[in-house]
Amino acid sequence: MRAFTWLEPGTTTDAVALLREHAPGARLIAGGQSLLLAMKDRTAGPTHLVSLAGVEGLAGVRTADDGSLVVGAATTYTALTRLDATALGGWHGVLGAVAGDLADRPVRNRGTVGGSLCTGDPRYDVPVLAAGVDATLRITGAGGDREVPATGFAQGPGLVALRPDEVLTALVLPPRPRWDAVAFEKFRHRVFDAAIVSVTCALRAGADGVAEARLTVGGATPAPTPVPGAAARLVGPLPDPDAVAAAADAAAEEVLPGGATAGEAVRYRHELVRTLVRRAVTRAAADLRRS
Amino acid sequence: MQQVTLTVNGREVTAEIDERTLLLEFVREVAGFTGAHNGCLEARCGCCAIEVDGEITKSCNVLAVQVDGAEVTTVEGLAPQRLAPVEHVTTQSLAGMYAPLEAVRTRAEDLHPLQEAFHRCHALQCGFCTPGMLMVLKGHLEENPEPTRDGVRHAIAGNLCRCTGYQHIVDAAMEAAEVMRGDAPVPADG
Ligand SMILES: Cc1cc2nc3c(=O)[nH]c(=O)nc-3n(C[C@H](O)[C@H](O)[C@H](O)COP(=O)(O)OP(=O)(O)OC[C@H]3O[C@@H](n4cnc5c(N)ncnc54)[C@H](O)[C@@H]3O)c2cc1C
Ligand code: FES
Ligand code: FES
Repeated sequence: MRAFTWLEPGTTTDAVALLREHAPGARLIAGGQSLLLAMKDRTAGPTHLVSLAGVEGLAGVRTADDGSLVVGAATTYTALTRLDATALGGWHGVLGAVAGDLADRPVRNRGTVGGSLCTGDPRYDVPVLAAGVDATLRITGAGGDREVPATGFAQGPGLVALRPDEVLTALVLPPRPRWDAVAFEKFRHRVFDAAIVSVTCALRAGADGVAEARLTVGGATPAPTPVPGAAARLVGPLPDPDAVAAAADAAAEEVLPGGATAGEAVRYRHELVRTLVRRAVTRAAADLRRS
Repeated sequence: MQQVTLTVNGREVTAEIDERTLLLEFVREVAGFTGAHNGCLEARCGCCAIEVDGEITKSCNVLAVQVDGAEVTTVEGLAPQRLAPVEHVTTQSLAGMYAPLEAVRTRAEDLHPLQEAFHRCHALQCGFCTPGMLMVLKGHLEENPEPTRDGVRHAIAGNLCRCTGYQHIVDAAMEAAEVMRGDAPVPADG
């Protein structure tokens, strides 16, 4: 690990000021679960570490007046799993389920939602869920505050649309009426492994079936990818198994065109996308049928 | 350099340390508790797992400065069998550091139910993974007094053991849970 100076701001304003003062070598650290791995193998070597641990108001979850769920960037996975159905009602509960089913308990105790979003690792789960439910991200920096869609925030391995002097302050999930059913599916070899491919399916009910559908695929491409073409096929009467399978085939083709006849690695992911889209849509549609 | 104070197994330790010092290094080299092991240094093997303010943590993937002021419990904190802290591993006699096993085992409360069960079920061979296994399972059983074998396997998904094949570790966890619930008497002889 390369040497660095340790800094502990108490507010986001101070954190931003420290990032500016010590540019370009300064980096934020939340739980450190991803950053420390990179620092230990020297793929990252910040000159200054600006800790978010003591920054006021950055951890915790609250429901805003409009019903959206504001998840502080420094909220740990474990904190999310401890919330009950009052705090994480309806499909918002999928966030708690996802947070409780990745890595292991020691990592979940320290890893944060913001760290997951800002690492830009295509295998991480929260970015695929965030993009999949059309969430927004709150960002504050020297240039002021801004909100951006979670979709498009990650731009490739290790790359996110964040300026060096900006702090992600919150992940905002849309109000519950935005969707009637959300399902997240992933495939990994062992429980402790990161996902190879993951999928989010979000459905809004209409008078006689599905009024709006959103499908997002992670892991198959360098950043979470929406597949609007395949999702559009789901709009209409509740899809039967054949319609689900057709949408799954279309999704795989949309994310990895020609993947069915490509080399092994791509073919494998193509197949996983088909399978996981089928599972996610089936589960979300069953939820719709019940509600 | 940065001053850090941690309470390790009830003992307050303050030191000026390099910012790069990992919590694992602080606990082993500064505080002298060598129970937590370095098996991978990349949060994969679980040998370094300890509690920080009651929350299980892989101490190889946390900086000591990140947890300044915290209460830390390592495997040594599970049972009061250690008599004296390690001053120098190679010159200090083991007899001064630990009560003899026979003496400890005359009083069952000297061992945590998990340690008892590991001993009884043959849940360790080389023992390198054991401190982490014990600490992770302690947290799991405290939160899940009625564990399932599957739940136990999930709980130790981030703990690698190269010797046992895990079967006996799961057996031990299930037995320990009974003792921790108060369903089973503490075995007299192990
Ligand atoms: C062994 C292991 C297994 C894992 N398995 C999985 C898995 O199965 N699925 C999964 O999804 N993830 C997995 N992860 C990744 C885990 O989700 C992330 O490591 C964790 O969420 C990162 O959060 P952190 O707070 O520790 O981030 P840090 O490591 O502190 O930071 C990561 C990056 O984000 C930046 N950053 C952090 N917070 C902010 C902020 N608020 N604003 C701007 N930038 C910020 C930092 O500067 C840094 O570049 C695993 C990690 C480990 C170590
Ligand atoms: S040494 Fe910490 S997990 Fe392996
Ligand atoms: S007993 Fe040897 S590694 Fe587990």
